[in-house]
Amino acid sequence: MTGTVNTVLGPVPSADLGVVAVHERLVSVVPGAQFAYDVRIDRAEVFEAVAAQLRAFRAAGGGTVVDSTGMFHGRDVRLLEALSRATGVHLVASTGMGPEAMLGGYFLTPQTNPPTPWPADRFADLFTAEVTEGMVVPRVERRGLAGLAVTATTRGGRTATDESLLLGVARTALTTGVPASLRSDDVDDLDVVLKEGLPAHRVAVVADDPLAVVERGAYAVLTDPARVLELVDAGHAERVLLTTGGVGVSFGEDAPTASYADLTTALPRDVATQVLVANPRDLLAIEKR
Amino acid sequence: MARVNTVLGPIPSEELGFVAVHEHIGYGMPGSELDTRWWKSPEQRYEETVPKLRAFHENCKPYGAATFVDATGICNGRDIPYYQSLSEKTGVHIVASTGFVGGDTALPFFERASVDYLTDQFLHEITVGIAGTGAKAGIIKVGVSRGFKMKELDLRIYRAAARAALATGVPIFTHLAVDVEPAIEVFHDEGLPLHRVLFGHADDGVSQGKVRDTWIADQGGRIGFDTFGYDLELPDPPFWGRPRQERLDHFLRYVQGGRVDSVLASADANCSPLGWPGVKGHTVNYLFEVLIPALREAGVDDDTITRIFVDLPAAFLSLQTPSPTTSPS
Ligand SMILES: [Zn+2]
Repeated sequence: MTGTVNTVLGPVPSADLGVVAVHERLVSVVPGAQFAYDVRIDRAEVFEAVAAQLRAFRAAGGGTVVDSTGMFHGRDVRLLEALSRATGVHLVASTGMGPEAMLGGYFLTPQTNPPTPWPADRFADLFTAEVTEGMVVPRVERRGLAGLAVTATTRGGRTATDESLLLGVARTALTTGVPASLRSDDVDDLDVVLKEGLPAHRVAVVADDPLAVVERGAYAVLTDPARVLELVDAGHAERVLLTTGGVGVSFGEDAPTASYADLTTALPRDVATQVLVANPRDLLAIEKR
Repeated sequence: MARVNTVLGPIPSEELGFVAVHEHIGYGMPGSELDTRWWKSPEQRYEETVPKLRAFHENCKPYGAATFVDATGICNGRDIPYYQSLSEKTGVHIVASTGFVGGDTALPFFERASVDYLTDQFLHEITVGIAGTGAKAGIIKVGVSRGFKMKELDLRIYRAAARAALATGVPIFTHLAVDVEPAIEVFHDEGLPLHRVLFGHADDGVSQGKVRDTWIADQGGRIGFDTFGYDLELPDPPFWGRPRQERLDHFLRYVQGGRVDSVLASADANCSPLGWPGVKGHTVNYLFEVLIPALREAGVDDDTITRIFVDLPAAFLSLQTPSPTTSPS
């Protein structure tokens, strides 16, 4: 299946993506850390660090990195554009946010009486506009189109707002044709998205139980190549994705540093062609309904 | 020498002149910056803001200078370089805050932070500067999350604020004066005298019946009559509005009842709101256009008006290292 993919520099044919690091966090800023007195975000340093990782990825045969941090965890569209131009790696950025604990008060305790948290439709409108009109550079401009919609649910059980976010992401994916991705420890979260009418092959899930994900026809995102091979052996090659599990540069929390280049040698060649090229290509291609 | 931190540097408190003690250049809930429905061009933001500050500056002239205390918390759209440009170009002194309007406006990074970390954040912003601007905070903002009930995070912020206030001498402003017992317990516990705390929004409509304002005042706390102008008589009043006369009568009970030194007054208006529609026509200049004439009409003399808007805020805002109270326990 082919189509186009929204990258930060514009639409690209999905066949051109090459080897894809499909569920990454290029720059991660815990919401609020940008205001912390002891956190210094030097854009030039951030650029250099991420660019070095992307150049190594490209030199190792990599083609595309998907940034799945969403719109409120350090996403910086202008920086991503510059990184893509400088390194030649396609970058796909995401809309969405979650889980509830990562949201700003605007969505949870709005200035209304009572302070009712946002419902699914408002999240859907917010995320959809990022795919159709452009991603926000807060209070400045919209730039580029989001290539996917992401969210996550609270470990130990989704909250009511998590559910609104899941539905918001599902509706965004349905309306715009971009894929949805979720981080979730309960396959019931995936079922919420599927019940909304989003076909399973339009969803990728970072899950504790990848088997339950692939059995429903959705993509399971894994960080362990050995687990990938197990699922491939079990006949699920077409529904498995591999990601580094690391972060390009992280502010506000410690996180392992990603090595995108390592992905290119993590799997046997025939498996890699399926898992790192074909599967992301099919997932990321915008599917108009 | 008594000094006050403004966004353009410390000034002597004698230079403050007329003080609007709780105002906002622009306030928005964290995350509202993602929603384009509220966005304004820079032209529009300056157009909405500069004339109000210039009128404020003119109105203040009989009292000397003009001082605008911006009570916007760390994650609520506080924008120091913007305030600096406004202050420099209009001549209005602007005092900025550290702290948070309430636990529910503190973003996840700060929600996870310890009392010690929050204290260090406030200390840094008061003694070193805010976000690399060199501008030092002149007040610490704290507050009660929505629901009229102190939450654990709210109290963690109150405790850190008390420690930073004791160490630096800046005063504390609270958003809301409801559920005040646990707050006062924290201040006692930390040894902060209550005259260093402005218990804000004691006059708003939704808080009435939930604020023990005379009980707070009896212990030395400052009572914030700082939502003047959010009147229910407005065409589209906010939910915290209150009948104009009722608020005025409440205020006059203090001013004419021997408690004038307990009050501080302001309008809590937004020059150009960031993440909500704001209240049309409500500006800091309400203090001159409506409040002061109403006070005069009620027989409040000019010395008392000067006391309320010049002397009391100057003393309150001055950096002072209070002698700590001893814990009652
Ligand atoms: Zn306020």
